[in-house]
Amino acid sequence: MTTERGAPILELRNVSTHYGLVAVLRDVDMDIYAGEMVCLLGGNASGKTTTLKTILGYVTPSEGDVVLDGNVVSGMSTAEVVRRGVSMVPENRRLFPDMTVEENLRLGAYLRRDRSAIEAARETVFETFPRVRERLKQKAGTLSGGEQQMVAMGRALMADPKVLLMDEPSMGLAPILVEQVFEIIKKIRELGKTVFIVEQNANMALSIADRGYVIQTGQVVLADTAQNLLQNPLMREAYLGEL
Amino acid sequence: MAARRWVRTGAFAGIVTIFLALVGLIGGFTDVFLIGDEVTFAGLMLLLPAFVAGFVAAAPRIEGGERREMSLGEAAVAAAVAAASAGFVFALAVLFTDLIGDERIRPIFLNVSPSLMEFVAFGQSTVVGAVILVALSTMAGVLGGVLRAAPPVIRRPVTAAVVVTVLFGFLQRVIPIALDQLSLERDWLYHPIHDGLTWVGAAVVAAISAGISLLNTRFGARVRGSLSSSIGGRSGLAMSPVRLIASVAAVALLIAAPLLLGSVISEVLGTVMVFALLGIGLNIVVGYAGLLDLGYVFFFALGAYSLALLTGATLNVYGVPPDPAISGDLNFYIAIPIVMLIAAAAGLLVGAPVLRLRGDYLALVTLGLGEMVTVLVGSPWLVPLVGGPSGMRGITDAAIGGFAFRDPQRFYYLALAFVALAAFLSWRLATSRIGRAWTAMREDEQTADAMGISTTRFKLLAFAIGGAIGSLGGALFAVKIGSLTPASFQVIVSIQVLGLVILGGLGSIPGVLVGALVLVGLPGLLREFEEYRFLAYGAAVVAVMVLRPQGLVPNVRRSRELQEEERAQDEWAKAVEEGETPGELGPPAEVTT
Repeated sequence: MTTERGAPILELRNVSTHYGLVAVLRDVDMDIYAGEMVCLLGGNASGKTTTLKTILGYVTPSEGDVVLDGNVVSGMSTAEVVRRGVSMVPENRRLFPDMTVEENLRLGAYLRRDRSAIEAARETVFETFPRVRERLKQKAGTLSGGEQQMVAMGRALMADPKVLLMDEPSMGLAPILVEQVFEIIKKIRELGKTVFIVEQNANMALSIADRGYVIQTGQVVLADTAQNLLQNPLMREAYLGEL
Repeated sequence: MAARRWVRTGAFAGIVTIFLALVGLIGGFTDVFLIGDEVTFAGLMLLLPAFVAGFVAAAPRIEGGERREMSLGEAAVAAAVAAASAGFVFALAVLFTDLIGDERIRPIFLNVSPSLMEFVAFGQSTVVGAVILVALSTMAGVLGGVLRAAPPVIRRPVTAAVVVTVLFGFLQRVIPIALDQLSLERDWLYHPIHDGLTWVGAAVVAAISAGISLLNTRFGARVRGSLSSSIGGRSGLAMSPVRLIASVAAVALLIAAPLLLGSVISEVLGTVMVFALLGIGLNIVVGYAGLLDLGYVFFFALGAYSLALLTGATLNVYGVPPDPAISGDLNFYIAIPIVMLIAAAAGLLVGAPVLRLRGDYLALVTLGLGEMVTVLVGSPWLVPLVGGPSGMRGITDAAIGGFAFRDPQRFYYLALAFVALAAFLSWRLATSRIGRAWTAMREDEQTADAMGISTTRFKLLAFAIGGAIGSLGGALFAVKIGSLTPASFQVIVSIQVLGLVILGGLGSIPGVLVGALVLVGLPGLLREFEEYRFLAYGAAVVAVMVLRPQGLVPNVRRSRELQEEERAQDEWAKAVEEGETPGELGPPAEVTT
C-alpha cells in the first residue's frame, strides 16, 4: 500500500497550535497517503490528541495548514471538515449512550443525503462487524466495551470518510479487549480505508500500521515505517518497554 | 431495629403535619368539605401524613438481596407504630403550643389560630384532644399499612376508589358546573350547601372507580393485547391502540371543556393554554436541545409587548401622549408572524453570546437576561415605549370580522388552536433531522460535532424557535388580559414554565399539557389554594423528581433510557453469574483533554 504515492490525502504543513500562550504543537509535518494506516505515538501530554483536534477543526492552528485532498481545511468548522471527509472514532468511544445502536449509526451518516449510499455503508458495517447487526435495537450504553468499539468504528465508517481518525482506541480497556480492538482495526484496514491512529500502546499500533510518527512535547521526533520503528533502539527504549 | 425505623418514619410524618399546620393548610380549611359533613380538607391534611407513614412503614423491604413482603398482621403493627409516632409528635406540638399559649406563637406563625387549636383538639380539652389525635392517626396509619400489605386485587381498587373520590371532592367547583351544563341532576352527588360530595355520591364514585380498576386488573392486559393485534397490526400506527384511544379522548375533552365548564373555569383554562404554549417553546430549548434556560420570561414579555406595539395599544400613563413611541396598526393575525420573527431574531441575539456556556453557567446567564427584561419594561427609561410601571392598555382582541376573542370561552379556543399548531410544529421538529441533531448535541456535544453536526447552528436554532413559540404565548397573554404591566413578567414565570416542563416530562409534548394543567390549572380551579400555589409547585416538582424522574407523561426516549438502565444492570448481573466477562457497562467516563 505504500508503493503508489500521489499527493497525500491528508497533510499537516508546519502546523503549530497554541492553547493561549502555551505551544502544544510545534512545526509539525505529517503526510498520510490514501489507503495507508499511519500511527502517531507519544507519551502523555505530548500533543497526540491536539494533533487530532487540529485536523478536525476543534482548534485552529496558529501557524501552518492542514490540507485535505489538496484543500486547506484549517480554520474551517468541525462540521465542515467532517463534511469534507474526515471521521473520528473518539477517545473512550463516546457513543451516544442513550441512543440505540441504530441511531448511533444513523448519526454517523448525518451529513449524507443519499439513502442508497447510506444503506450500502450500513451493509459494509454489518459485514465487517456482524455483532453490530444483532445489537441494532439495543441502547449503545448497555453494550460491552468491545461491542461499543465496533459501533464507534461503524459509526465513523457510515460517513464513508476519506480519512478515518482514531483517538487512542485501546484507552481504558482490559488487555484482552485491547487485542479485540486491534482485531477490529485490522478489519477496517482490510476495507482499504485510510486510517490515522493515535496510540499509547506502541507495540500494538506498530504491529498493524504501515508507518508511524513519534511525537514528543509537540514536536515530531521520529518518522519512519512501522518495521523500522519497531527495530529503532531509541524507540525500543522509550516506548516499547525494553531497557 | 425495625421498630426504630417505623418510629423514624412516623416522626417525620408528624413533622410534616406540623409544617402543614404552620403554613395554614389545616387551620384555614376547616370549612372546605370534601365528603358530607365529616370529611374536610383540614381533616385530610391532618391525617394524610399518618396514613402515608403507615403505608411506607408497611412497604416490602429488600434485605440481603431478598424482597420481604409483610403479612397483614406485621403490616398493621408496623403501620400502627409509625402512625402513632406521627400522631404523638404532632400532639406534643399541640400540647406545647397550648402550654405556652397559642397567642405567643401567632406573631411568628400567623396560621396558629384559635380555630386551628380548636380543630386539632376536636372541641375537647387539649389533653383529651391529644389522645384522640394519636388514636385517629394510628387508625389512619393502620389503614394505610393494611392497604399496602393487601394483595393487589384488593389494594388496586381500594387505592383507585380513594384517590378518585378525593379528586372528585376537590373538583367541587368544576364537576357540578359540567353537570348543570349537561342538565343533569347534581344534588345527589354534590352537597347543595357546602359544596363537597354527598356520602351517597362519594359511595357511587368510589364504587365505579373501584369497579373500573378491578376490570382493568382482570381483563386489561387481555383487552390491550387483542386491541393491539386487531387494530395496531393493521393500521401501521406507531402508537399503541390504548394510547391512541386515550389521545382521542383527551383531545375531545380539550375541545369540549369550555362548553362544559362555563366561563369562570374557561378563564383558568385559557391561562393553562398560554402556559402550555410557553411550555412547548421552552421544551424545545431545554427538552430537545438540552440548554437550560432560566430566562424564558424574556420571550414571554417580548411577545406581549411587541404585539401590543404592533396592534396599536396605548400607554397607560397620565401626562404623556397615549401613543407609544413606536406604534403600528396591524391586525392581530398579521402582527403574529412579525412578533414571532422578532422573537426568533431576539433568540439568536440571546443565544449568540451564551453559546459557549453549558449547564449551570448557561442557566445563570439566562437567569440574568430574564431579570433584565423585568427591570427594563418597568424602568422610567422605557415609559415612552412600553409605559413603564403602569404599562399599556387597549390591546387588540384578535377579532375576526367582529368576532372578538376576549371572552374566556372564545379565547380558550383561540389559544387551543395556537397550542395545537405549536405542538404539531414541535412534534415534526423532534422527529426530523433537526431533532436528531438536537438529541445528539444534548447527549454529547463534542461527539455531535465530530458527526458533522454544527452545534453552534443548532443551538441558535433552538433558541430562535423556542423564543418564537414563547413570544406567541406572550402575545396571546396580552390578548387575554387586554392590558400589560411589568408585574406579569417576573422571573417566576420562567421558573413556572420550567417547572411544568419538568413535571410533565422533558421532551414530551403531552407532558407539557399535563404539566400546565396540574401546575397552572389545579391551583386556579381551587381558588382557596391560590396562595399555596408555589408551595404546591415545589412539593409537586420534588415529588415527581424523586418518585418519577422521567416526568408524568414521559418522552418515549427518556423513559426508555431510565428503564433500560435497570434492564441492563439485570443483564449484567446475569452475565456475571454465568461467568462471562460482560465488559464495562454504562456511558464512558467524561474525557478531558
